[in-house]
Amino acid sequence: MWSLAYGLIALAVVAFVVLYAAAHAPNFTTVNLADQLYGAKGWLASNLPSFPRVDSTSRFRVFVNVVRVAKANATAYDYRMRQWVAFPIYLPVGYRLERAGENVVYQIYLNVTRCRYAALPRGEPAVLYEIELRHSLGQLPWLDVYAAVPHNLTQYYSWLHSYYTAWRRPPAVGLTPRVGADVRLVELVKVEWALVYDATNDTARLYVAVPAAALYVLLVDYPLKLPLTCPEQIASVSASSGSQRSDTPTIDLPSPR
Amino acid sequence: MIALRDILIFAGLAALAAAVIASLFPAGEGASPVPACSDCAFKLTGGYWMRQYGNYAALYLGTREAARYGWAYIDGRPLEIGENIACGSAMYLWVINGIAYVSCDGTPPRFGRDVLGPKLPFVDVRFSSDLRCTSYTIRFEANLTEHYVVTVEVYDEEGRLAASATGTIPGLVSFSIPVAGAYRVHIYAPPFFDEWHTLIAQVRISDLVRAQVFTSNDTQDLRPSTSLKIFNLTSYWKRGYRSAIVRVSPAGASFTLSAPSNVFADFLLAWEDCLTCDYTYGPVYVDEVWRLTFTQTSIVLTRVYSQEGFWHEVYVTSPPYGRVLIWTWNKEGPKLNSYTISWFATTVWFESPDSAMNARATFARECLWG
Repeated sequence: MWSLAYGLIALAVVAFVVLYAAAHAPNFTTVNLADQLYGAKGWLASNLPSFPRVDSTSRFRVFVNVVRVAKANATAYDYRMRQWVAFPIYLPVGYRLERAGENVVYQIYLNVTRCRYAALPRGEPAVLYEIELRHSLGQLPWLDVYAAVPHNLTQYYSWLHSYYTAWRRPPAVGLTPRVGADVRLVELVKVEWALVYDATNDTARLYVAVPAAALYVLLVDYPLKLPLTCPEQIASVSASSGSQRSDTPTIDLPSPR
Repeated sequence: MIALRDILIFAGLAALAAAVIASLFPAGEGASPVPACSDCAFKLTGGYWMRQYGNYAALYLGTREAARYGWAYIDGRPLEIGENIACGSAMYLWVINGIAYVSCDGTPPRFGRDVLGPKLPFVDVRFSSDLRCTSYTIRFEANLTEHYVVTVEVYDEEGRLAASATGTIPGLVSFSIPVAGAYRVHIYAPPFFDEWHTLIAQVRISDLVRAQVFTSNDTQDLRPSTSLKIFNLTSYWKRGYRSAIVRVSPAGASFTLSAPSNVFADFLLAWEDCLTCDYTYGPVYVDEVWRLTFTQTSIVLTRVYSQEGFWHEVYVTSPPYGRVLIWTWNKEGPKLNSYTISWFATTVWFESPDSAMNARATFARECLWG
């Protein structure tokens, strides 16, 4: 009788100590900021082709996860109809992207503010891009900039035209159907770039000099790859069909939808 | 036997008491030390608190020091030297690169400053119009929790306010424009939109056979290429004229038309039935004169004048009947002076024995948004 009572009391004391220790043991998990950052950028990279494309600055100012585009027309050879066709395309010129991980907020703002023809010191023709760059995590130590030079511009636009005929909406250069899908049609060339920080308005400007034949520049914040184009350059190249070039931008009037 | 059982029980009790007492000893000797971890998140239950010193922050359990960190932050704010923090039931602690981030409600610290400013979810703008191009709807679709006011203002070619409407985002805005023309539409909804669009509402005349469109008087003899002259009167009514005189032939044959009410677009059709029998300074382009008026809801075809010795036939397309003979001249057949078509488009035919003068034109309402 007494031994049973002692046994129960001992059991209760043991149970209390075990439960108390379990409740008060520090509960911990590891935090991996690098993984979270990679996850946020990877999410943005995989969703980039489906983000809304806006061509008015008023929308680009306030909406998040949008791509600012400029509308233009491209000429392609339609192999099925056996004739040259003009079709509308979107040229990506800006991004406002945000994705938050558990402990990290990844935001990137890119906007092509200017681009024009320039000559490199050795006299080679180039296109100089001025890109406004804002980043939530300070500057990017691993930033890579490439220029995508198409092997054959007509072939490139004909390839894009196949997406236009399939989807009946304008494809975006570099983004359709996804970033990197045009790997067989373009050559990625590493280009010179410089990042200039302006303390008065807390923006950094990225200056990129790309070969004049380049269709777009590809900014890589691995694994996020963002193509950016120069609408003035593409308009003048397609207007003069590659043989001659003028620095006067052609203005495409908005086509009624 | 009994002695052995008692010894076992007392030995167990003594071990438990030792464990409880040991847990109250300083760091590293208790039952539950805070694990040394460089990038970790902890949930600490019990009497934990933190104090910031000049060169480190210390985490205490009761009075014993459990761990040391470089600096401590609470809810994104660094602690001042000498400041203590303690939470009620549980303390949430993130240790990243030797810095401690403390939160009492479990909100994780977020690294990264805000560089984007407003971050609204994207609003989808869908524009639609009815079949008759007079009433329009702009739909704003968004997964917003609150509603924002949106104002839509429509200005005509001369800058006058033709229509305005307000609505909400998400929601829709409807407006109507009475007369064909080119319009500028201002969508204003801070902070979402401050943008201008072009809206063109018009009657498109296509499929012209021996027909030509004019916007003012034309008195030339354009045979044989043109037997049907179409005069677009819409702009005169839009400018506020009460009536208009349309001269159609070299001899100066004219028709006086008064301004219709509630008109979307208005046309006068003047047709010549014979290639050779009327001479240039005779009565040409007056053999059949009809007026085609697009009202807000329908298309009305009205006879103005008929003459000449040839027989004439006037046909229109009118769903669901198809091609309908509405008027005959100098022969047996329907004699309708006026015909209403409740569809957005119609085709008009004028026919006579001189098939070289048979003419045709298709009129269709069209609205373009850009």
